[in-house]
Amino acid sequence: MAKTEGRIRLTLLGGYLGSGKTTWLRHQLHAGTFGLVHVVVNEAAEIPVDDALLGGATGLTVLAGGCVCCTGRADLVAALRDLCDRRSSVADPSERIGRIVLETSGLADPAPIVAALRADPILARHIVIGEIVVAVDAAHGLAQLSEEPLGRRQVEAADRLILTKLDAAGTEAIAKLQLALRLLNPGATLSAAVMGSEMALPEVPSGTLPPQLPPLPDGETEPLLPMHLSLGPEPDWPALGVWLSALLHARGDQIVRVKGVVQTPAGRLLLQTVRRVVQPPEILPSGGDRGGLDNGIVVIGRGFQPEALHASFRHFLNLTDS
Amino acid sequence: MCASCGYPAAPGHWTEAGAATAPDRLRARFRRAQVLKAVLQGSGLVAHDGGLVPGIQLATLSGNQTIVPDLEQLWIAAEQMTGRAIDPLDPRFWGGDG
Repeated sequence: MAKTEGRIRLTLLGGYLGSGKTTWLRHQLHAGTFGLVHVVVNEAAEIPVDDALLGGATGLTVLAGGCVCCTGRADLVAALRDLCDRRSSVADPSERIGRIVLETSGLADPAPIVAALRADPILARHIVIGEIVVAVDAAHGLAQLSEEPLGRRQVEAADRLILTKLDAAGTEAIAKLQLALRLLNPGATLSAAVMGSEMALPEVPSGTLPPQLPPLPDGETEPLLPMHLSLGPEPDWPALGVWLSALLHARGDQIVRVKGVVQTPAGRLLLQTVRRVVQPPEILPSGGDRGGLDNGIVVIGRGFQPEALHASFRHFLNLTDS
Repeated sequence: MCASCGYPAAPGHWTEAGAATAPDRLRARFRRAQVLKAVLQGSGLVAHDGGLVPGIQLATLSGNQTIVPDLEQLWIAAEQMTGRAIDPLDPRFWGGDG
């Protein structure tokens, strides 16, 4: 596990209304995947239902009557601050909760939540955002992605996409949905689950055409492009910092996500961003480079020429005094 | 956070995560200054970081100057001082035509 310097890891669980978030979480709690975990559940409706289902957690907080990515943001910050306070007052580190799972309402966009947690001076010191998990309903996912800008934003923000309710969808629908998800968020890992337990992802039959996702009225009509940029055997972290910070400042609206592992004198750093928010790089255990993916970053965005991005990246990384 | 000792510390700016020891940090600052100098050439701005005082000094050619704590603030200040953002996808950085 990566070093967190005493901070709590937070897993953000999102997904559209009825996509199977609670079912998935309930199974993970039952199976003990998360260890000592506090679950924060947000319901946009006034009447909470989900909390009745989540018995396996060490602690449970329900935030009802307002979505935490917009109207209920202050409530979320207050609840998490309270959690951090209570955790800090437990003397024995082995009895402290090690993880918070925040189950968002089906109407939440993960990006503003990440931004709110990073912007709060107390939470920034106590919480490390570990992973953004997004559940996608195998039966209805494709329809939601074609109609709902929100459904797309949720998928775009994910580190890990979980196809749920595989048993309720046809083979062709699942194959098309997989292609659509790969198109929308090429950087995320994709897995499948039925009632929360992991399932093998069905193979996409060769010859299946990716579905045409219609442009949506919020203006983001171009598909996202993933671009892989290699940093070479000895990455120049300061130059990467100059380039990426300038890029996010000037083009933050177009860069949806950046992800990568970079070897530096301080260790292997996990670099990730959600929109304009860069998460503090985590130091990963050394020697864990599987498949030689280290020293490269993936930039996912829209609205610019890929050649320009590649050329600009090469230019910045090769700058000298001359 | 503990008000006396500041633990747990707020994570520093992400661009400074690549160095853990004092010599590495200084080396990273000098490299950053070198890259910045080249990037800002032709923009009417000069950045200086001699490694002695914290922060990066940023000045216009007419003498307007400021000190910023990190790169994020630097780009904000650069935009304020020159009236437009420094865009890495600007053709002058990669020799394209637009």
